[in-house]
Amino acid sequence: MTHTDSHTDVTAPLLQVSGLKVHFPLRPGLFGKPAAMVKAVDGVDFTVHHGETLGLVGESGCGKSTTGLAVLRMTPLTEGRIVFDGEDISHPDAATTKRLRRKMQMVYQDPFGALNPRMRVLDIIGEPLRVHRLTRTRTEYRARVMDLLDRVGLKAEMADRYPHEFSGGQRQRIGIARALAAEPSLIICDEPVSALDVSIQAQVINLLEDLQRDLGLTYLFVAHDLAVVRHLCHRIVVMYLGRVVEVADRERLYQAPRHPYTRALLGAIPIADPDPEIQARFNPSVDGEVPSPIDPPPGCPFHPRCPHATELCRREAPRPIDVEDGHSVACHLHDPSRATEMTHPEPSYQEQARNIA
Amino acid sequence: MFTETSMATAEAAPRNEPAPTLLRVENLRTVFEKDDGLVHAVNDVSFDVRRGEVLAIVGESGSGKSITAMSLLRLIPSPPGQIIGGQVLFDGQDLLDLSDDAIRQIRGRDISMIFQEPMTSLNPSLRIGRQLAEPLRVHGSVPKGKVRERCLELLRQVRIGDPEKRLDAYPHELSGGMRQRVMIAMGLACLPRLIIADEPTTALDVTVQAQILELLRDITRANQSSMMLITHDLGVVARYADRINVMYAGRIVERGTAHDIFHRPRHPYTVGLMASMPRLDDAIGNRLTPIPGSPPDLSDPPSGCPFHPRCRFAQPRCKQERPPLERLDEEHWKACWVNLDDTH
Repeated sequence: MTHTDSHTDVTAPLLQVSGLKVHFPLRPGLFGKPAAMVKAVDGVDFTVHHGETLGLVGESGCGKSTTGLAVLRMTPLTEGRIVFDGEDISHPDAATTKRLRRKMQMVYQDPFGALNPRMRVLDIIGEPLRVHRLTRTRTEYRARVMDLLDRVGLKAEMADRYPHEFSGGQRQRIGIARALAAEPSLIICDEPVSALDVSIQAQVINLLEDLQRDLGLTYLFVAHDLAVVRHLCHRIVVMYLGRVVEVADRERLYQAPRHPYTRALLGAIPIADPDPEIQARFNPSVDGEVPSPIDPPPGCPFHPRCPHATELCRREAPRPIDVEDGHSVACHLHDPSRATEMTHPEPSYQEQARNIA
Repeated sequence: MFTETSMATAEAAPRNEPAPTLLRVENLRTVFEKDDGLVHAVNDVSFDVRRGEVLAIVGESGSGKSITAMSLLRLIPSPPGQIIGGQVLFDGQDLLDLSDDAIRQIRGRDISMIFQEPMTSLNPSLRIGRQLAEPLRVHGSVPKGKVRERCLELLRQVRIGDPEKRLDAYPHELSGGMRQRVMIAMGLACLPRLIIADEPTTALDVTVQAQILELLRDITRANQSSMMLITHDLGVVARYADRINVMYAGRIVERGTAHDIFHRPRHPYTVGLMASMPRLDDAIGNRLTPIPGSPPDLSDPPSGCPFHPRCRFAQPRCKQERPPLERLDEEHWKACWVNLDDTH
């Protein structure tokens, strides 16, 4: 299987998302006027380069899955621009949408709900081939599905079985084979291993790595498990309440996180080692829970839980600041031009940084 | 080496005096009737919970960890489930022999259970205060006039702000984390000696999980209660458990202190779990070593050791004979024919 898109310019990003906003009406009021808007995604920028895995992480309600759906053009944009492979797809016509359905594919979280129980594996995996007319004869079609089964580590004789005959891990492999069928240039993985048992997760993680190496795939990887994300993703976008709070490559994000939320998130993950020295790194450092995206706090969305919040944070949302090449943080603490407004008695700050790093 | 059945004698003369036993489970068997036959969900499981400790039961879905917990308090829906053997000894009495009335007296008063899903475990149509007061009323733990006062105290203990107002709230008016705090408050209401927490934070975000688990541990300690923590999350286990039972296919395959299980695991399944899990402190670029295959179908379990079809150390004997849970040293037990050392 090869990817031979002649117009692909590998130096330009494969995907560029700028100023993305997706707001949903909560429920229509009495006269059809929405009672409130859920600001699921509220101003998000990022790029995905060819052949990389970009992680989109955050807790529930941060907008990571909605961002994935917006990129797939499966939910309308409220604002912003999405450029895919050099083409503006913010407002695609029917023909563009059909083309996108081939070039972007999705791997879903729930391997039980994502496959049609009445279809044989052959036709589940082959469906994109039929829809996009990618094979001409029945023999070619079957051979292509066999090839895909082999790719994802399933046996050829499994083609004539139904989904209920497979375990969770095998079903996830079927979902991946289906996503590969149309030779997409971008695969959006929405929590692809979180429904699987630990012993099975590693099988699917290794498969995703192998496929990327062999086929030059690009992944947008939406997940909440930061250990899995660290293992798979080259660069990571941390989201909180519909916004991007930090972007960095994995080395820097995990070794030197800058945003207080990223630090709290990393500090809250229990490490699978009872050694007291390792457990000493455990430092959740935040209280409370994520506020509702219906009525997000003014200023920085994280300020009500942030140990460093000042008057400025309550008033004004921070803009992303480049702290290093490829590492940006949306936090007033890291904006030199706001330093005087951020003077805040917080002696433990460096300490916390050390604890987490 | 001692076998499981000689455990009592072995513990009579311990080298380091372990805390006295609070609850002892012996040869517990729970089955479920399914269309395709009998499922042995819990198969000959024995362990004890000591006073003041956090004992973890770890396993993947279908390992029998939750069914074990529910069997202790006889919460197995029957039919299709049935406890077909074993003893659950608490205060010298076998909980499996008690009348329905007598076990109801124990539930919530001496042993309480905190479930995974706070939204389905709370009654959506009753105010929080009413639900919180229920265990207190049922067990008559506090005089009638003091119930409200005790409820407020419990909400404060689980750090719910504005407790007066929360008593009058309905479950849907609270966030997921707050609902789980209410569940914990209910579980703690009668100062039980044992708290069984079944995946208490699985449905919560990681920053909230951290708050809840720290709270649960601190309160358990303060009350000098014991906790049985049922989870699939090895990170949670490493942080909170004193001793760990690893379950696979309805059986305990390894038991030890947290140090034993994480630093010198001796069962190939435990070893496999550790190697298959990405960690925050791995070297970046390490490849994971998965456990091949998937867990067995318990209506048709493999012969011999239930793990042998997935085990890279399997020998001919493993296919024919099931290894008993045997003692390696004071606290460390394993059910495996192969002798693994630290070099695996």
